[in-house]
Amino acid sequence: MKVLVPIKRVADPANANKVKVAGSEVSHDGLEWVMNPFDEWSLEAALRLTEDASAKTRTGEIVVVSIGPKAAVDTLREAMGKGAERGVLVDGEDTALDSNVVAQILAKVVEKEQPDLVLMGKQSADGDSNIAGTKLAELLGWPVINYASHIETSDDGKTLTIKRELDVGVQTLKVQGPAVITCSDRILKPGTIKNGVTPADFEYPDLGDLNSRLSNLKNIMAARKKPLDELGLGDLGVEPVRVDEYVGFELPAGRSGQAQFLESVDELVQKLQSEAKVL
Amino acid sequence: MAQPINRYKTDLRDYSFLLFEQFKLQDVLGAEPFSDWDEETCNTVLSQVYEFAKTVTGPLNRVGDTQGCRLEDGRVITPEGFKDAWKKLYDAGWRVLGAPAEYGGMDAPTSVAVLSDELLSGSNTAFNMYPGLCLGAAEVIAEFGTDAQKKTYVPPMMNGKWGGTMCLSEPHAGSDVGSATTMAAPVGDGTYKIRGTKIFISGGDHDLADNIIHLVLARIEGASAGTKGLSLFIVPKVRVDGTPNDVQVTSIEHKMGINGSATCVLEFGEKGECVGELVGTVEHQGMRQMFKLMNFARIGVGIQGLAVASSAYFNALEYARDRKQGSSIKEWKNAEAPRVAIIEHPNVRRDLLMMKSKVEGMRALITKLAVHQDRLRAVEGKDDASVAYHQGQIDLLTPLVKAYCSDEAYRVCETAIQVYGGAGYLKDWPVEQYARDSKIFSIYEGTNAIQAMDLVGRKLGQGGGKNTQTFLGEIQKWIAAHKDDADLTDAVANLQKAHEAVGGSVMQFLGWFQSGQMPNIVLMAERFLHMMSKLTIGWLLLDGATIAAQKLAEGGLSARDQAFYEGKKYSALYYAKNIVPEVIGDAKTLRACDVSPVQISDEAFGPA
Repeated sequence: MKVLVPIKRVADPANANKVKVAGSEVSHDGLEWVMNPFDEWSLEAALRLTEDASAKTRTGEIVVVSIGPKAAVDTLREAMGKGAERGVLVDGEDTALDSNVVAQILAKVVEKEQPDLVLMGKQSADGDSNIAGTKLAELLGWPVINYASHIETSDDGKTLTIKRELDVGVQTLKVQGPAVITCSDRILKPGTIKNGVTPADFEYPDLGDLNSRLSNLKNIMAARKKPLDELGLGDLGVEPVRVDEYVGFELPAGRSGQAQFLESVDELVQKLQSEAKVL
Repeated sequence: MAQPINRYKTDLRDYSFLLFEQFKLQDVLGAEPFSDWDEETCNTVLSQVYEFAKTVTGPLNRVGDTQGCRLEDGRVITPEGFKDAWKKLYDAGWRVLGAPAEYGGMDAPTSVAVLSDELLSGSNTAFNMYPGLCLGAAEVIAEFGTDAQKKTYVPPMMNGKWGGTMCLSEPHAGSDVGSATTMAAPVGDGTYKIRGTKIFISGGDHDLADNIIHLVLARIEGASAGTKGLSLFIVPKVRVDGTPNDVQVTSIEHKMGINGSATCVLEFGEKGECVGELVGTVEHQGMRQMFKLMNFARIGVGIQGLAVASSAYFNALEYARDRKQGSSIKEWKNAEAPRVAIIEHPNVRRDLLMMKSKVEGMRALITKLAVHQDRLRAVEGKDDASVAYHQGQIDLLTPLVKAYCSDEAYRVCETAIQVYGGAGYLKDWPVEQYARDSKIFSIYEGTNAIQAMDLVGRKLGQGGGKNTQTFLGEIQKWIAAHKDDADLTDAVANLQKAHEAVGGSVMQFLGWFQSGQMPNIVLMAERFLHMMSKLTIGWLLLDGATIAAQKLAEGGLSARDQAFYEGKKYSALYYAKNIVPEVIGDAKTLRACDVSPVQISDEAFGPA
């Protein structure tokens, strides 16, 4: 199975307090870049789909693709250090991307790569638009399933049984590949991916606060030698059109007030009633 | 179980600065023996180890402290989560980063392995001792063992299947290793029956691995007394054929800190059934072989000191930025002035900058030593003069790394607690554990008094004093080149005076040696070790500051780099103007050499 995993680099959400905005621009100065956590979930899912976890061998191929400046190579190498086989970097400016541009570029990469599946984040941690995956499927004429929590492949790998956890319960869908799938964080739980190769009783470790597995030394060293193609938009024959126009950014208002220690539960209830007016 | 929350923090920017901007590790990368390594790979490895430290070992630091180890039915049970972390560590491969490829390692530069070790030790000192000592023991067998021993013992000790220890101390042989009474009787088939008691054995037993390989110093029957008669033996907990080997844990110690590390009393051969094999084939080489491990471990202790001090600093910094108390001193007449974060108070800023400069200074000292090792590895077998130069500098710096970093670790932790105020004394915050954990660093692997005697008694005069002269000559050259730097003039002048003071003190020791005034040497050795460390660190920090000044002058920096380089500059200035001058006063004290401690009678110390 060949899986394409698009990966965006985003300013580290843990340092959101360092973001500076000026009019219609967000300044990237001084920020640290990390892999979009939503994409990391999909990378982890893709790794589990294409390996025999028990024998620790790779059984399929993962191509990670990113759109960004040269420095985004680091993000791709990081993904390859976790196990992805190849990388593709499409030259672009972080600030010049919107969901439509991303979908149009990715559609061309998909045409070139012909994967069995595109697994991507349901959104990016910076823009939170939640559009690119669906838009990509639309451009490709492929089915799209968002917020997958479980993925099971048929014996020939062509049919996927996917569960989505919704407020009303769990929905199970069957889909013929190729397809675009976005994942929810439930996908990181043990037992959510069945690929017919990893033994059913294999127990993946709990990832805790991590968004994907840690890389190990061997993979990091190997990742340096894995193929990484750098493409311009011309190479893909695409002139993406941006449809969103950023008019302005504002930082959220600073937190008002401070934590207060109360003497009793009664006092808390009273304050919730009279001051917060939530009871 | 205490909440597994990570408190470990550091700033990797300083690591890449030291490796690639100051000590220029890239000079030796991309060629044998580091052909697989480049700058990006080194940085990636460090960032991944940091991730590992924050997510796997870091959250278990307080858990290990609270739970400690238990001895049940003669077996040590480690704190919850340690077993899982051990497995993850070896799966990830971080413990064998610097090991040769034939043992599953990646031949990483020593400096990268050393800084990775800082990250692991800082996140959880107690946990990291198990795999750390195991690696050291494996390296001794890899260097001195027979081919069969290398094949049998080294791979499982490198991949985490087996653990390893070093067994030196005995109830009446601590600092005085030569008094060891553990005996080895030849059986006739090449093996020996071992009998004796070893104490203070870190990781002497644990439940993390299937077997534990003890390296035991013992005296073969009939061998001479003292250290010269000692031999080193491989003594497995379980023999290679799977039968138990008569090694008993009789108790574990209850300690002030590093509670997650099991400190064991081991009884070898109580039933007369403990079998060991000599490391290699030549008897009475024990001390020489053990010194390989001890040098490794001494540098390791320096790294522990740096690691814990660094996290203590970053935690205190975070707290100081967050904690509001008092108003700005500029508003001292205004009772209504708004409350400010304590980082606004000049005295707190001074404490923070002192910690920052010491931490960065220790890291620079350790990185310097490690890059000497890398440069040595790059020319080994090709350029004997270079090898001798680098080895000489490593030998000279090792006692400074061990003793200065371990002494200062405790002091930085103490200062961190002071920054927190009362909160720092509570178990709600990590710094009180850091202080307790770090106290042992100045004691084990040779007390700092022993390190100081190693420095003045052995290292200063090594090679006819050549290493020391070369070292002091390099500082003098640097001073000459930078004495007119506009930003640094006062600081460089201080360094110059400290340099003269250290040079004069070296001559003073020489005089005492020649006139046989041995008590003076012992009285003043630790003071001198600190003088020389302060001179070295003052130099290294100022050297870093000149690089930072150049970057700042060039401009075009990101906000983060702007702040980083400014920080480097002020660390150096603080250290050079507040700590380096102590060397000058110390030299006067040293020269005057007050001998009150040896003149006072035992009785005058107080009633028995």
